[in-house]
Amino acid sequence: MVKSKKKFIDYVSKGFEKGWKHIDASLVTSDETLEADVVIVGSGAGGGNTAEILAQVGLYVIIVEEGPLKTSNDFRMKEDEAYSMLYQESASRQTRDRGIKIFQGRMVGGGTGVNWTTSFRTPETTLNFWVDQMGVKGFSESEMSPWFEWVEKRYKIQSWSLPSNANNSVLETGCTRLGIGWGKIKRNVVGCQNLGYCGTGCPTNAKQSTLITTIPGALKEGAMLISKARAENFEIKNGRIISLKCLSMTKRGNAPSKKFFKIRAKHYVLAAGGIGSPAVLLRSKNKIFNPYGIVGKRTFLHPVNLSGAIMPFEVFGEYGAPQTSFSDHYIDTRLDLNKSGFKLECPPLQPMLVATNLEGHGKFHSEIMRKRPFLQVLIALQRDGFHPESIGGSVFLKKDGSPGLDYTVSSYVWDGIRDAFHVMADIQFAAGAKSVSPVHRDAAIYKSPKKAKEAISSLPMEILKARLFSAHVMGGCPMGEDPEKSVVNSEGTHHEVENLSVFDGSVFPTSIGANPMESIFAISAKFSQELAKKIG
Amino acid sequence: MLTRRSLLKKSAVSGVTILAFETCLASPTIPPAPEDLGHHFEFLSLQDRGILSKLIPVILADSLPSSLDEAELSIKEIIIGWDIAVLGLPILTQTELKRLFEVMKSNFILSMTPRLITGVPSAWEDPSEIENFLNKWRKSEPDNFITGNELRVGYMGLVEITVACWYGNPRSWEFCGYYGPINLNSLIP
Ligand SMILES: Cc1cc2nc3c(=O)[nH]c(=O)nc-3n(C[C@H](O)[C@H](O)[C@H](O)COP(=O)(O)OP(=O)(O)OC[C@H]3O[C@@H](n4cnc5c(N)ncnc54)[C@H](O)[C@@H]3O)c2cc1C
Ligand code: SF4
Repeated sequence: MVKSKKKFIDYVSKGFEKGWKHIDASLVTSDETLEADVVIVGSGAGGGNTAEILAQVGLYVIIVEEGPLKTSNDFRMKEDEAYSMLYQESASRQTRDRGIKIFQGRMVGGGTGVNWTTSFRTPETTLNFWVDQMGVKGFSESEMSPWFEWVEKRYKIQSWSLPSNANNSVLETGCTRLGIGWGKIKRNVVGCQNLGYCGTGCPTNAKQSTLITTIPGALKEGAMLISKARAENFEIKNGRIISLKCLSMTKRGNAPSKKFFKIRAKHYVLAAGGIGSPAVLLRSKNKIFNPYGIVGKRTFLHPVNLSGAIMPFEVFGEYGAPQTSFSDHYIDTRLDLNKSGFKLECPPLQPMLVATNLEGHGKFHSEIMRKRPFLQVLIALQRDGFHPESIGGSVFLKKDGSPGLDYTVSSYVWDGIRDAFHVMADIQFAAGAKSVSPVHRDAAIYKSPKKAKEAISSLPMEILKARLFSAHVMGGCPMGEDPEKSVVNSEGTHHEVENLSVFDGSVFPTSIGANPMESIFAISAKFSQELAKKIG
Repeated sequence: MLTRRSLLKKSAVSGVTILAFETCLASPTIPPAPEDLGHHFEFLSLQDRGILSKLIPVILADSLPSSLDEAELSIKEIIIGWDIAVLGLPILTQTELKRLFEVMKSNFILSMTPRLITGVPSAWEDPSEIENFLNKWRKSEPDNFITGNELRVGYMGLVEITVACWYGNPRSWEFCGYYGPINLNSLIP
């Protein structure tokens, strides 16, 4: 029998060849006004998901996306190309004090195009907190579970059956030896080749990003995609939005040009993500969008600190599915909020990502890079937004109108970060690490658990000293029933402006306490179905 | 990144008094820029490139190839990588980086920051002087009453872009034991 040759077909670009509607705004010169039933700003988890649902009920949808349209043939697993092409601000976005690096996708597909495929339902404890403390309606576990089931089908979220790469195995071994609970992560992939390059765009179309699932789903129904266009602000008349003004990006894609066009629609959906969605409302400069000054407030990050270890065996953390195991031990045992809880996971370890997240230069830096094949890294994600002291950050506009974020790490969260440094070192040593180094300005490389413990106890937990990052921007347009405390209601509709909704991660009233993609899919699916019933 | 306004504010008082000293000192010697390998530079000036050519070997230490020719070629490529990387950044970030180079050139008029405060080398020839300068910035306290977080942030920016340009370049991969992206064809049965 002759086996047919399977290839990794770039069927999204084939779809455009066959006539899916797409405009690259950086190449267009006319400034005509477009018309649609619904315009969706952003094509990430919230935007892509919403586009398909609304297009399927017969609404004419236009998706406006600031980033470029790139497809699997463009994803060449090269870090030097990918970060500048696919990430917000070339992956150099930071908080105002430069203390936290912020990773967000900026491409057709948004964060789902570059994320690491880790899929968790919103923890029940988080949903309960929203219902009990944050005035949100309709989000109990039983009300949400049909939506999680729907999402898991649509995005093929399933258990990952291959063994973990060595980077993740260290987390498993260390936790097992210390008696700390851990689990395996579900992933939104089909036919995954276990390459490990999810962060530079999946070259095999295994990852079920919105780029290959729901955006094509919407385009098949006749929706139109406009890439490289930044939604600037809404125009309002008699309490209703009458148009959305968009700026074309320059060809290079890093800045808006002076060319603009307008889109008129019956309904407007913001899905530009955390930081992005509040920014459009702030730029719209009308009190009606922000009567109580809440827009952009309560932006959460799951601030992440890192611990590196040199193992006695080869790790090669750049290869193999990047995140396959986790531990929620320090979330589950800290739900009383006496101490800040955190989730433990592993990152992928391609060389540029490693090199740019290490502290120091010269010999210190190069020695770690030389041993990189043996390098293992753990990360801890703080569950911010639940304790009264953990109020999150605040989005502001820079002088050119682009958004920035103020985020003060509370002393409560700093204590959690120190605890996480301790715990990560313990796990790494338990798994056999030869040495451990917390990623911190003042840390050295420690050869024994005792030395590491002493050092971590006295390291200053301060901004720009402990290196922090975030790949999970959440909140900024929180939902709730009280218009004085929230921006949208429990259906994602703006409290004051009836033809405006926000369907993305910015509606979370707290952080999720788990990787947010599946939560955003579920919430935007629920919201979109409700909206489709109203206006479809 | 360094912001002009805050440094101005913070160094205004001390700046005036130190200006007298500063003008007595020899103005800094900026090393010549290495060849451009045919790249048309849009962001980095000749002087910026001269400074980078001396900074890069100190930042990257022995991760650069041991053969002198190869090391030189790598440095030239890293400088080109810098130019390309910066041009992809938001315009405001580019402005901040411009200002960082003004500080490193000890251009008092443009940077308003005396060398006595920033510790920028007077000449860029001596690697140990460059090392001291980098360490001063690295270790500078983020809440320093004159410079604020600016030196620490400037340090992090310099190092980050440099190591990004190097470890994104296949010439560095042997050193860090990276076999590079997977050949997709090898996966097709
Ligand atoms: C490297 C990385 C790894 C991650 N790994 C995981 C993971 O494994 N599991 C998980 O659950 N989560 C992960 N996340 C987070 C997850 O991808 C995001 O939380 C999620 O994609 C956010 O969805 P969203 O719809 O809120 O916004 P996004 O997906 O960020 O989409 C917003 C889109 O809007 C565009 N936009 C912004 N402003 C404008 C504007 N003014 N006009 C037009 N367009 C605009 C942006 O370019 C972007 O494409 C990861 C994120 C990153 C960056
Ligand atoms: S690990 Fe799987 S999902 Fe990730 S890039 Fe590779 S093939 Fe795609």
